[in-house]
Amino acid sequence: MKPAPFEYHAPTTIADAAGLLADLGDGAKVLAGGQSLIPMLALRLAVFDHLVDVGRIAELHGIERRGDALWVGAGTTEAAVGASVEVASSVPLLAKATPFVGHFQIRNRGTLGGSIAHADPAAEYPAVALALDASMDVVSSRGSRTIAARDFFDGLWSTSMETDELLAGVSFPIWGGRCGFAVEEFARRYGDFALAGVAVAIELDGDDRVRRSALGLIGMGSTPERAVTTEAQLAGQPVTEVDAEEVGRSAVAGLEAVPSDLHGSADYRRQLGAAMVARAWRTASAEARHG
Amino acid sequence: MGETTVNVTVNGRSCEAVVEARLTLADFLRETCHLTGTHLGCEHGVCGACTVLVDGAAVRSCLMFAVQAGGTEVTTIEGIAAPDGELSTVQAAFRDCHGLQCGYCTPGFIVSVTAFLEDNPSPTDQEIREALSGNLCRCTGYQGILNAVHQVTGAARGEEPA
Amino acid sequence: MTVPTAEGSTRYAGARINRVEDARLLSGRGTFVDDVSLPGMLHACFVRSPLPRATIRSIDTKAALAMPGVHAVFTAADLNPDVNEQWHTSVGPEGPETPRPPLAEGEVRFVGDAVALVVAESRYLAEDAVDLVEVDYDPLPAVVDYTTAEQAATLVHESHGSNLIGQMSGLPASALQEVFDSAAHVVGETIYQQAYVPVPMEGRALAVDYSAPTGELTIYSATQAPHEVRLFCSRLLGVPEQKVRVIARDTGGGFGQKIMVQRDEMCIMLAARKVPGPLKWIEDRRENLIAAGQSRHEHAAVKMAFDAEGTIQAAQIDFVSDCGAYPTPWPVSTSSVVGALFPGPYRVPRASFTTKTMYTNTVGRTAYRGPWQFETLAREMLLDIAARQMGIDPMELRRRNLLRRDELPYTNANGMPFDHISPMETFEQALDMLDYPAFRKEQAEARAAGRYLGVGISNYVEPSSPGFGYYATEAATIRVEPSGKVNVYIAGGSTGNSIETTVVQLAADALGVDIEDVATIQGDTAVTGFGAGAAGSRSASMTAGAIRETAAILRERIKAIAAHKLEAAPEDIELGNSRASVRGTPTIGMSLGELARAAYFDPYSLPPGVPAGLEASARYTADTRFVWVNATHLCTCEVDVATGAVKLLRFIVSEDCGPMINPNVVEGQIAGGVVQGIGGVLYEHLAYDEDGNPITTTFMDYLLPTATEVPVIEYGHIETPSPGPGGYKGVGEGGAIGAPPAVVNAVADALAPFGVTVTRLPLGPTQIHALIAGNRG
Repeated sequence: MKPAPFEYHAPTTIADAAGLLADLGDGAKVLAGGQSLIPMLALRLAVFDHLVDVGRIAELHGIERRGDALWVGAGTTEAAVGASVEVASSVPLLAKATPFVGHFQIRNRGTLGGSIAHADPAAEYPAVALALDASMDVVSSRGSRTIAARDFFDGLWSTSMETDELLAGVSFPIWGGRCGFAVEEFARRYGDFALAGVAVAIELDGDDRVRRSALGLIGMGSTPERAVTTEAQLAGQPVTEVDAEEVGRSAVAGLEAVPSDLHGSADYRRQLGAAMVARAWRTASAEARHG
Repeated sequence: MGETTVNVTVNGRSCEAVVEARLTLADFLRETCHLTGTHLGCEHGVCGACTVLVDGAAVRSCLMFAVQAGGTEVTTIEGIAAPDGELSTVQAAFRDCHGLQCGYCTPGFIVSVTAFLEDNPSPTDQEIREALSGNLCRCTGYQGILNAVHQVTGAARGEEPA
Repeated sequence: MTVPTAEGSTRYAGARINRVEDARLLSGRGTFVDDVSLPGMLHACFVRSPLPRATIRSIDTKAALAMPGVHAVFTAADLNPDVNEQWHTSVGPEGPETPRPPLAEGEVRFVGDAVALVVAESRYLAEDAVDLVEVDYDPLPAVVDYTTAEQAATLVHESHGSNLIGQMSGLPASALQEVFDSAAHVVGETIYQQAYVPVPMEGRALAVDYSAPTGELTIYSATQAPHEVRLFCSRLLGVPEQKVRVIARDTGGGFGQKIMVQRDEMCIMLAARKVPGPLKWIEDRRENLIAAGQSRHEHAAVKMAFDAEGTIQAAQIDFVSDCGAYPTPWPVSTSSVVGALFPGPYRVPRASFTTKTMYTNTVGRTAYRGPWQFETLAREMLLDIAARQMGIDPMELRRRNLLRRDELPYTNANGMPFDHISPMETFEQALDMLDYPAFRKEQAEARAAGRYLGVGISNYVEPSSPGFGYYATEAATIRVEPSGKVNVYIAGGSTGNSIETTVVQLAADALGVDIEDVATIQGDTAVTGFGAGAAGSRSASMTAGAIRETAAILRERIKAIAAHKLEAAPEDIELGNSRASVRGTPTIGMSLGELARAAYFDPYSLPPGVPAGLEASARYTADTRFVWVNATHLCTCEVDVATGAVKLLRFIVSEDCGPMINPNVVEGQIAGGVVQGIGGVLYEHLAYDEDGNPITTTFMDYLLPTATEVPVIEYGHIETPSPGPGGYKGVGEGGAIGAPPAVVNAVADALAPFGVTVTRLPLGPTQIHALIAGNRG
């Protein structure tokens, strides 16, 4: 189980990386932490002529406050995200999602940008990015652009980035006020990809009414899913009158592409997703009310 | 296609070689450096048998290319015991608690546990289990391994070994 | 760490001795096959069939052969004609056998079937070349479902004439008809177990170094049975046995999968003589999950008759198993053990069974830790179902029927002669350890609070250390070296079973020497006598016998020399602490070193009739045909009905493996087997889709339990000596036999309020969800 040969490139600047991607075209693939890509290469499920290793680009690393958002460099390891005090205080949902990402050995190599660009619907970071309306800083030799999370994930393991584009960083809006956050997921074993899960953010007004909420569903479709209809129904409701189980049922009601395989039928995953949403809603709303 | 010179410091010793870019760090350690204590149990990043320390962090050496490790300091299972052969606290605890049977997964467990306890010297049982869950063992049912980690953390707290 | 004996000398058997294997394995200094690197070594990789059944029209190897670094691409036409003989010793040359072409010849019969073999400078290059080998297949309909294979129009092996490999039976069912017709209660179900597999952390591995000038082969093998590899190779190639040397230093687990040579290894042996360097094949994980074999996949219609008090009147099982395309070995006789043992450690006056083994276009069946364990699974699941139907507590139902010590020896209705077992004792010990009444109370309170706890039990009796055929003997050579240090040579089969430590402990006791003075050399056919290896939970009893026989010769000789030197009678000499001394006067004595020096370097000083040197070889022949072992497994769990997750709370094993040589090793063997059993019920499934494609070919899909999924295992020990050497029994397989039904019954008990009956495995969360939803299956 050995990877096929490839040409290796290790640029040290974003500009050089973008130049390489432009020059090499479709045969090139960005190598970030490699924790999803290298297994695919080893199994020869994927073969590329060129790998552009972005691990030596200092500009891709870092966690910093930029206005009312927290910017996380795409090359920041999941371990660094998990250990960051800034992440924990500014984007608690990201911090709470991190322990669910693989095992600690994986988080030592895997990067936030790699996870989001890989766009696995069962992964945590894409769902968090979607839930929080994060924006993706994307760079190519043609210039830079920002892609909203809702426009970013466009299919199974697929994003709206062009093949010459590199994800440089992700900006997560900081939720202030009376907020609560929770991530709940169910996997066959600790550390496995979730069969179903959710990242929930809630903000309450001074009267315990839901000012806004965000539900990013994990493993419930071909992309991370946002329960927008449910969120709209919840807006303005007194949080003490919200039935968490009903939130769960509502969140999964409209899903059309719930996966089905050996480990879980679509029917089962739907029920599981509802249960996870209910649990996360309870935790997040309690946190929002009581701090 | 794609040959590169890499220089990795392995267990304190510089190891320089011209390698194919596709050579995994695991195969580099085993075949180029002749350090065969790092084992391959799945080659797709699940079993953890190939775990080594790269700049002190536990990683799967099958999920890294040797070229990515250029300039780093790598510690393998061969670098865990003292130079005179005295077992580390973690290794000794595995021996005392029958934390290994066939020994194939053992290097990965020793390396992972060493790194984990460095970061968290007083873990709870649940934290220990979660930390171990990235390493698969088929012989022990994890009982002796869990006992071994508890022995190390208990000793660190001044408790008598069970 | 040691057990003092009455005479005051040290005794190591029974003590929790640290293992002699550990220092090297803990520090990365073990030697597994892949660690063997020889000058000029070449690397092999197989081209495997992507189709479950197809005609091979043509194989184009040109592009692969043209690749730099590629030495050869072999197809069936190159290797298969070189087969001299191929048969496994346990089956014999006359045994009925599956045709077993090394490389697929004309037809592929499962996804993963080896079609060609590439040999290159590295495994990387070999895999590149594999991608360039073009095989033109003509797809054929495949037999995927073993349950309908018997009626299928398609035949897996045309030459066999049927997909039914064979069948065995006991008493005909008609003989029990009257009992069933007149019984107060009859309980019957069809119980199904999915395929799950040994999954040693090291896959299969073989390196063959062929020396053309001498015709000798040195084989490094990941094996449980080095001598069987040598014998098989010598027959396969038609090479004299002494020209084949098999070395097995460290093997990364076997659990049955590495007992017998399979087709892939045959190819490496055959190819090694045709390439210009030593040839290594390291099976990768995907190959291991596709091609190394299947196990457990089976079902049976089972039935029991009870009187009004719940006393078992009769038991019947009609068993069918999936054996894939190339089972190794012939699976029919193993299946009969399922039938014969179905009554278990219970008083069952009448029994009948039938077994059928089926060919399918899936990977061949191989042995796995307790290959007959379905008898325990089916019986113990049925007993719980029966208890629920009859309204009797499941523990009470068992208590009424378990064999008591005063009933032994007891020959079961199928002729199995049970003795030296303690089913009632392990059962009561396990229930005591749990505090069963307290658990039932806790369960009732939990249910009232909407939480679902369950308890499950299983009892079994298993044959260990078989005393027939080539399993029935084991040899040892013991050398007290001239310095007085001891080397013990035993066939071995060290695969995590701690057999090196066991041998050192037993030899130290047998010779009365300090354990630090004893070493063992195993796994090298050049220096050890023939032995059948680690199989059938035989190593403890058989090596104990081999050491007993051999040490007896040396003890007598050591005593004779010491008596001569010390001017005492041989019967007054005691051995202990690496010394021979005069009974009652321990200060008068000689060290073993002094005695050995005399034996080797001053032979004329020895008493008349005592040969020079201090070395002996002897062979043990099993004292008994069966060494029976029994145990009780007891498990509690909580089922989260919202997710279908099962959390195991407590897992208690009370077993009787006789006196324990090393309790650490005993408990380690039990724990490993138990967690494999837990995996088999809750996580593991070697699955095929309905077209015959394997769909669990990585560790992302084939789910082994990890440290977060396992409970603390609690052990209770009953030590009833066997009639064999030291009273020891085998404990290698039982954990994997007892655990599955205990887990299943616990889950079923937890779900009892939903009125579900569990008859099918696995019990993953999706299956539990379906059960609760009233959707059986």
